[in-house]
Amino acid sequence: MENFDLFSEDMSSNRKADLNEVFDLAILGAGPAGLTASIYAGRAGLKFILVERLSSGGQIVFSDQVDNYPGFPEGISGSQLMERFEKQASKFGTQIFSGEVREIKKSDNLFLIETSSGTIKSRSVIYAMGADPMKLPVPEEERFRGKGVSYCATCDAAFFKDKIVCVVGGGDTALYDALHLSRFAKNVIVLHRRDKLRAVKVLQDIVKKNPRIELLLEHIPLHIIGNKKVEGLEVENVKTRESKVINIDGIFVAIGIVPNTLPLKGIVELDEKGFIKTDLNMETSVQGLFAAGDVRATPLRQVVTAASDGAIAAFSAQKYLENLER
Amino acid sequence: MEKLLKAKDEEYVRNLFEQNLVEPVELVLFLESPGASRVTEHNKQYLAYTEEILTEVSNLSDKINLTIYKDDKEKEKEYGVENISAFFIEGKNTNKNIVYYGIPSGHEFSSLLEDIIDVSKGETQLPDKLKEMVRKISTNVNILVFVTPTCPHCPQAVRTAHQFALENKLIRSSMIEAQEFPEWSNKYNVYAVPKVVINDKMQFEGAVPEDTFLNSVYEALGIKLLF
Ligand SMILES: Cc1cc2nc3c(=O)[nH]c(=O)nc-3n(C[C@H](O)[C@H](O)[C@H](O)COP(=O)(O)OP(=O)(O)OC[C@H]3O[C@@H](n4cnc5c(N)ncnc54)[C@H](O)[C@@H]3O)c2cc1C
Repeated sequence: MENFDLFSEDMSSNRKADLNEVFDLAILGAGPAGLTASIYAGRAGLKFILVERLSSGGQIVFSDQVDNYPGFPEGISGSQLMERFEKQASKFGTQIFSGEVREIKKSDNLFLIETSSGTIKSRSVIYAMGADPMKLPVPEEERFRGKGVSYCATCDAAFFKDKIVCVVGGGDTALYDALHLSRFAKNVIVLHRRDKLRAVKVLQDIVKKNPRIELLLEHIPLHIIGNKKVEGLEVENVKTRESKVINIDGIFVAIGIVPNTLPLKGIVELDEKGFIKTDLNMETSVQGLFAAGDVRATPLRQVVTAASDGAIAAFSAQKYLENLER
Repeated sequence: MEKLLKAKDEEYVRNLFEQNLVEPVELVLFLESPGASRVTEHNKQYLAYTEEILTEVSNLSDKINLTIYKDDKEKEKEYGVENISAFFIEGKNTNKNIVYYGIPSGHEFSSLLEDIIDVSKGETQLPDKLKEMVRKISTNVNILVFVTPTCPHCPQAVRTAHQFALENKLIRSSMIEAQEFPEWSNKYNVYAVPKVVINDKMQFEGAVPEDTFLNSVYEALGIKLLF
């Protein structure tokens, strides 16, 4: 009964913050970037608020094995790693305010942040709302979401015991998902559009040795087949354009991410893919608004880089506030 | 059985309770003997663990009392127990309406702790505007939240549903550990969690903000809310 070694104490959020106050800094999103920014903001003595729509931790809580965050030579699960980030943040006075950020406005050096739990007033902002998984680009996605189409292998693998599942994607996340699923499913098919996987070599080597995992390269998904739930996937060979149906019970999607920038639409400059542009200080095109982590235009999106961004952003926000006061 | 909670976790929970519990809380657990009608070959393996974890938790504060009913058909009827194991968190503002089917392990352990604290305080942390909207509901609402212990955002859905129940006695909210009750999960076509089912009508998957969740509750009642 492997589930029982874990009784996790996720950090509870609260709503005790007094929204009539004006904060020095509002940190939006409690993933690796936002939590790190709060450690720095707390230690700098800033009056700050950390806002999160879900439980904290960000995307990495979906990973049951993180092998590349320094300091954990044996690897650690994403949830456990984030529990440590949270404990450290709370040690320096962080409390999570639970609410979904919906709109951000700036007038006269004051930011007004509309959330599902009220309006926050702050003199500076670190925007660290990360990204959500990209949806499977087939017309039937919405109809079958939760009915065989899943975006969380750790959450849903158990529903596919002894079944056949397909993982769409060729990066690290896709291969971690495939490995996790191979502990439950009879067969895992990894579907990738290129002739080579994108994932790091160590992962590719492990996957290739796993007898339950099969690669289907140079194929893209076209249509989901099924009545009430997923029963098959029509795929197309990108070279020959030939299509065929593979019989599967589940589809796990890991084809990339979409940055959460909706509340900033039309306010800040984005790159062509929709990520927020910043300078080296993490400052965006709007003064006093900093961005950190996966939501930012950056060459590498990992926990370690998100944490690094968060630290720089908090430092920059502090400098910005000092200048405001002069 | 070996203890399920490690010493350092016990210490953490004991402190948490000491700082936060106000009024007494009653945990009411329903079990059946092996071979009894509702326990299946599949889910009987979990019962001892559920009993153990609730026993350990209740031992961490004088304010928590655990009552166990085994094969007690009458009590099951009184509480409206649909499957075994089931347990209820009862306090002065509850109405046998904060329910767990199956073990609260993994991430759900935090739901259990936070629920106990809320029930003991007799209040939730929902924003005032939302509390008002929840209290206005004047018909019975039955909310099922299917989860797995390895689902990081499932507690959000469970907690929201349980907070609604604590704010309104007509709302009954149940966490269901999907793996323990495969038939129940199949009935509602559960292949991804969290999955929320409201009055058998309205269904949605994924963790959502509390106001969005409440919208769905109203929608299940045939009312469209405009926030
Ligand atoms: C399955 C998987 C495996 C991975 N494995 C690894 C790995 O092994 N090593 C590694 O280094 N990286 C890994 N990554 C990448 C890593 O998770 C991300 O780079 C990292 O989480 C980015 O952190 P972040 O704080 O920028 O954003 P996020 O982690 O996305 O956090 C953003 C937070 O903001 C919140 N938020 C979003 N919108 C709103 C809103 N409107 N209002 C309020 N809050 C909001 C979100 O709920 C979330 O908690 C993995 C990612 C996935 C999905």
